[in-house]
Amino acid sequence: MGYRAKKAVVAASLLALSTAFETVSKRSPEMRAEIARWNDGRAFAMGVLPRGPAITMRNEGGRLRYAGPGYHDPDVKILFKNVDNALLPLTGRIGADIAFVQHRAALHGEVAHGMQTSRALAIVQTYLLPGFILRRTFKRPPRLSARQWFLKAWVMGTLPFGMAVNFAKR
Amino acid sequence: MIPEYYEFACPTKIISGFKALSNLPYEMSLLGAARALVVTDQGVAGAGLIKRVHAVFEGADGVIGAVYDETPVDSGSEAVRAVADAYRGHECDCLVAVGGGSCIDTAKGALIVLAEDSADLKAYQGAERFNKPTCPFIVVPTTAGTGSEATLAAVIRDEATRTKMALTSYRLFPDVAILDPKMTVTMPPHITAATGMDALTHAVEAYCSLQKNPMSDAFSQAAIRLIMRHLIDCVRNGGDEQARLAMANAALFAGISFSNAMIGVVHALAHACGGVCRIPHGVANAVLLPWGMEYNAGKAGDALAALGPVLGADATVTGAIGAVRDLRARLGELCGLPETLGAAGVEAEQLDAIARVAIDDGSVTYNPEDVTYDDALGILKNAL
Ligand SMILES: NC(=O)c1ccc[n+]([C@@H]2O[C@H](COP(=O)([O-])OP(=O)(O)OC[C@H]3O[C@@H](n4cnc5c(N)ncnc54)[C@H](O)[C@@H]3O)[C@@H](O)[C@H]2O)c1
Ligand SMILES: [Fe+2]
Repeated sequence: MGYRAKKAVVAASLLALSTAFETVSKRSPEMRAEIARWNDGRAFAMGVLPRGPAITMRNEGGRLRYAGPGYHDPDVKILFKNVDNALLPLTGRIGADIAFVQHRAALHGEVAHGMQTSRALAIVQTYLLPGFILRRTFKRPPRLSARQWFLKAWVMGTLPFGMAVNFAKR
Repeated sequence: MIPEYYEFACPTKIISGFKALSNLPYEMSLLGAARALVVTDQGVAGAGLIKRVHAVFEGADGVIGAVYDETPVDSGSEAVRAVADAYRGHECDCLVAVGGGSCIDTAKGALIVLAEDSADLKAYQGAERFNKPTCPFIVVPTTAGTGSEATLAAVIRDEATRTKMALTSYRLFPDVAILDPKMTVTMPPHITAATGMDALTHAVEAYCSLQKNPMSDAFSQAAIRLIMRHLIDCVRNGGDEQARLAMANAALFAGISFSNAMIGVVHALAHACGGVCRIPHGVANAVLLPWGMEYNAGKAGDALAALGPVLGADATVTGAIGAVRDLRARLGELCGLPETLGAAGVEAEQLDAIARVAIDDGSVTYNPEDVTYDDALGILKNAL
């Protein structure tokens, strides 16, 4: 795959994450509990260095909203050092923890906020990634309850529409 | 087995041995520096160690421009600012930290403030945030624990927000680390024991970390062997310079190891204990290390078992944990090193707050086993 193709896959994966963050923060009690401690307006971004795709998510009243592509005044940034390093975790070949362990991503900002962001990301991935990937990439793969299975189906079902809406936000 | 991927860095020049301190002015000249700002604290100065530093400048070209000796325990943003001001005010051209982790990390903070010409350290939190050239930086450790003389990390308390800022950057490696046994012989037994257990915790946690690699493993094993052989001697007979030099090397090796493999759940909890209850870093590690090893036994059983013989026990997880417990018990008898969090001054009501802070510590990422709030609380209850 050439750079442009990789960049397109990364951009699409980030867009999928952006809408999944929105849906899950609206409907998952675990996610709401995690975000309840964040101050209003707090934002995080994930992106590829130096000028690759990026998204910013912002806490608005206990829910995460997509603030658009690029960096919109985020408090923490999760930065992949190049497009290959972003591709590995975003396509589920390595976990988010391992992306940091393997120096593929760097955190900018307060570490506690970065850890809270990582936990929020893990919750979203629970609903976004198939079981075999979760078993490979999570230290402790989650076991979903009936309610969580239902939400997972909902997240998957609304994904194309959500991605289309967020794609238009630029 | 070679990991799928790893990185390793240790650009620090190591000078270790008897009368090593005498090389300080020469090393400064190699770095193009002639006027040092010495960063230290009251305890170190009170032990007569700054007199030793003054003495080695006799007949040398370089000079000490000023001495800052107000470093607080656990470093602080105010001290960092004061160091940067003193550096500019006295027209110094290099930083020389003489002390334990608190002095070294304060100097690292000043390194950033001076390079960026900005007093706001908060803007540099996280990893690899700044890349401006720094001034020459030499470290003379006076504890044998943190290994900060050869790490890329600094932990500094922000007095305004009362939080601990973690900063990592390859620019924070000192240019030179000078290990001279005369600089650690004055350490009292309980600080010797606690800082030594900090070094052991670095070595063991790095060896079990998700980021472990062949280089860090080698440094961890070398560190552990030295600690098991010499820590008790240092506590029993502080003046034993051979043992002191061995422990200085052990702490350095453990520092090199964890700077490249990171640490885990024990440090996450120990940092939180420090933040919430202000108990000394090494004491918290000493109490929590066996519990952390037990917690990780499921995921890092092979690594822990392999450490058994290095710790002087059989090649099993229980052997490794037993060896650490035995060492701690002997240190307890010798100098009263606590074996429980309760004995270290932690109250049961504080465990909830400690667990909350611990799961937000970056070390959790590198721990082989997941660490949730409930997990953290469970370990703390065991250790109380
Ligand atoms: N940057 C890193 O990589 C890293 C790693 C681990 C810990 N740390 C930090 O280091 C700090 C702890 O450092 P530490 O354990 O070296 O202790 P310290 O620097 O806080 O010193 C503890 C006490 O011992 C005294 N002392 C030190 N050397 C002495 C000597 N030779 N003789 C007599 N008294 C002496 C000091 O005056 C002080 O009162 C913590 O803040 C911790 O967060 C940093
Ligand atoms: Fe430590």
